[in-house]
Amino acid sequence: MLKQASRTSLAFSAVVALLLVATGVCARAGVRTSDLWWMPEVASKEGVLIDQLTYFIYYLTGGVFVLTQIVLIYFLVKYRSRRGAKATYSHGNNRLELLWTAIPTAIFIGLWGYSNHLWLDVLHAPAPPDSMEVHVLAYQFAFSFQYPGADGKLGQSDVKLIGNDNLFGNDPNDPATKDNFQSSVLELPVNKPVRLRLNSRDVIHAFYVPQFRVYQDMVPGRTIDWVWFTPTKLGSFQLACNQLCGSGHYNMKAQIEVVSQQDFDKWYKEKATAANAPAGNAPAQSK
Amino acid sequence: MSQTIAHPEASEVESSHGHHTELSFFRKYIWSQDHKTIAMQYLFTSLFFLLVAGLLAMGVRYQLAFPGVPVPIIGSFLPSWLVTSTGAIQPAGYNALFTMHATAMVFLVVMPFLIGVFGNLLIPLQIGAPDMAFPFFNALSYWLFLLSGIILLGSFFAPTGFPASGWTSYAPLSAHAQYNGTQIGQSCWCVGLFVNGLASIAGAANYITTVINMRAPGMKMFRLPLPIWALLITAFLLLLAVPVLSAAAAMLFCDLNFGTSFFSSSNYGQPLLWQHLFWFFGHPEVYIMILPAMGLVSEIISVNSRKPIFGYKAMVFAMVAIGFLGFIVWGHHMFVSGMNLLLSATFSFSTMVIAVPSAIKTFNWLGTVWGGSIRYTTAMCFALAFVSMFVIGGLSGIYMAATPVDLFIHHTYFIVAHIHYVLFGGSLFGVFGAIYFWFPKMFGRMMNETWGKIHFALAFIFFNCTFFPMHNLGLNGMMRRIADPTQYEHLRSQQPVNIFITLSAFALGLSTIPFLINFFYSMFKGPKAPINPWKSNTLEWTVPSPPPHGNFETTPTVYHGPYEYSVPGMEEDYLPQNQPAPETVRLAAH
Repeated sequence: MLKQASRTSLAFSAVVALLLVATGVCARAGVRTSDLWWMPEVASKEGVLIDQLTYFIYYLTGGVFVLTQIVLIYFLVKYRSRRGAKATYSHGNNRLELLWTAIPTAIFIGLWGYSNHLWLDVLHAPAPPDSMEVHVLAYQFAFSFQYPGADGKLGQSDVKLIGNDNLFGNDPNDPATKDNFQSSVLELPVNKPVRLRLNSRDVIHAFYVPQFRVYQDMVPGRTIDWVWFTPTKLGSFQLACNQLCGSGHYNMKAQIEVVSQQDFDKWYKEKATAANAPAGNAPAQSK
Repeated sequence: MSQTIAHPEASEVESSHGHHTELSFFRKYIWSQDHKTIAMQYLFTSLFFLLVAGLLAMGVRYQLAFPGVPVPIIGSFLPSWLVTSTGAIQPAGYNALFTMHATAMVFLVVMPFLIGVFGNLLIPLQIGAPDMAFPFFNALSYWLFLLSGIILLGSFFAPTGFPASGWTSYAPLSAHAQYNGTQIGQSCWCVGLFVNGLASIAGAANYITTVINMRAPGMKMFRLPLPIWALLITAFLLLLAVPVLSAAAAMLFCDLNFGTSFFSSSNYGQPLLWQHLFWFFGHPEVYIMILPAMGLVSEIISVNSRKPIFGYKAMVFAMVAIGFLGFIVWGHHMFVSGMNLLLSATFSFSTMVIAVPSAIKTFNWLGTVWGGSIRYTTAMCFALAFVSMFVIGGLSGIYMAATPVDLFIHHTYFIVAHIHYVLFGGSLFGVFGAIYFWFPKMFGRMMNETWGKIHFALAFIFFNCTFFPMHNLGLNGMMRRIADPTQYEHLRSQQPVNIFITLSAFALGLSTIPFLINFFYSMFKGPKAPINPWKSNTLEWTVPSPPPHGNFETTPTVYHGPYEYSVPGMEEDYLPQNQPAPETVRLAAH
């Protein structure tokens, strides 16, 4: 019996060893050099808050994990069957039951309070007044973006108007839609909140950027306008569809460029003039 | 009680006549209404489906490690909806692989293993009944289940192949052939699940009736073994949740084939309605797939620790709580679906609350092991691994329950790791443990313990090597359900991890071989099993192995609860439920 117990612990140490070896092998390969085993570096203001919560849960669950596994392994070794030793006759202990019901309940409700405050009061608070609105359309298997144009307003849109000649479902009677322009790249100014208006033309897609810690499904027939975030790092990112949407799903993505306000203004001006020169709101698909 | 060796015959087959009239071959093995034979039918069928669904997983893993590389050897024999002309898996084929892997594992493997096999085997035997309340429905349930498996897997031979919109089949992708490209496959999915649902409903009604009405004298509710409590609660969940899925599947079938628009975005349909219906079934389903395993594992741990279950009533109430709360947490699959944000907040709350009974159960398992005299049988190893893995799967669930964190890890490999820790490290390890534990009763022979341990060690090690790194992949932002992770800059550096996982997964798949050999060899050549090889208390261990048709010669009388182990003042460390405690001994509970 002793032999069997040590065999179990042997198997356990083998797992640990293997996991360590795996870490070593994998950590050496690859392009990315930092945070290879962890989250990609956060690139939005709100993402920092999400990471704090993630770490809080990480330490909480990590502690519980280590404690329960240590207790389990300790019991398994200590109480292995031995000649002459008889098991304790016990049907339980109500005081203990109460204790290990009350403590997790308190922890979980507390965690919910923290998490829910972040969810409702911070992440989904109304977007700051200085935020820029971008209209995002998803379809099998690409994304398109629409910017407000010179007047800074996207204007009214309606999912029922979405069609081949009106990709974003702009309301033709709203003058604010006239100077909107389109882009196949999501160009964003750094440190400025951006608010998304999300639409899908066919099936459910998703707006997912791990560096921004942002995920939102884009549902056909619905406009989702509560997602906003503030990019804080210059550079290129990839927007990925993260809701199975068909055979091309694996490759449905778009480029995100976070640039300085200056560069953004320059890009914006060029695009706005180019789009408005020929005929108002032409459905041009240029970069 | 003395350890008499039952006079076991080669298999369940020869002994199933007992004192009843001789049955024809057809009535005895094919259209059998004996719950033990039906359990056996479920066992062999689910084992077969386990291998099929496991092979599909191998395909999924192959593609993720070596995207675009032709599948060696079998590549050129695979149908054109699955592979390109060079034999490499194509993206649409990949979608079909994981869709069918998950659908089969859920509906054709884990559910029938837990509910079909052990529900059928244990309910009459552990409550002291000769058979189920409705033996005809029981047989019908098995044949409907088999039919559903044939319909689901049969779509392999359709020109467009398997359904490919995920096991969740989110509309409108699933509702329109022009979006999913698999009209026949997706229709088979709907019909298959509808038929599978009928089987579940018939089974559930049967289980509830049997447990409520057919308990032996003295078998009070609080003297029921925990597997029976778990199966009873599960049956209620099935009865309330499955009809919703059946209805939804029928509606989806109409959308797909008859031009209705329940779930399309046009004509006043609602894509989110599908998700609400699916998860209203789908979340209780998660508990349907874990509660019976919890019951089986509780039994195995108590017997092999030679100790009463710590907090029997707490265990029962925790399961009732899980069953009840399981119906009000479905929205946590939909935090980022476009559902009302305030609704997400309430579902987050109920999800946090449902973690409490799971925690209670874990602490009670630890309490059961504490002070025990643990026998490391293979069954016990798997049961303990269940507890350990369930802790990991449970804790990783808390990340998703916190709505803001879900914004980051929703639909990433983090959740793939989570479900596999619960469904494989949990449910399937529980199933393996239960097979090793009840095999002697089913077949009248013992399985080989050494090969069992080898199976356990390999499965445990490679399970963790396969699924643990998936947590890291998820935190790295690797999406689920993408056929080629190298398409994304932030994932390219993760490819070595994917290769490591795939190699581990292959090893995990191979670890099933010692189990299968052991299983089939022992069935015919294993040493004969005594009546009560594990010195267990429950009623199935008081009848021959395998039990005769009708189970009990005379209806047993039950004198106490099922977990009276190591009672002080007794010679033996166990006390079967059909034996009264000696005058000199006072039992501590019920």
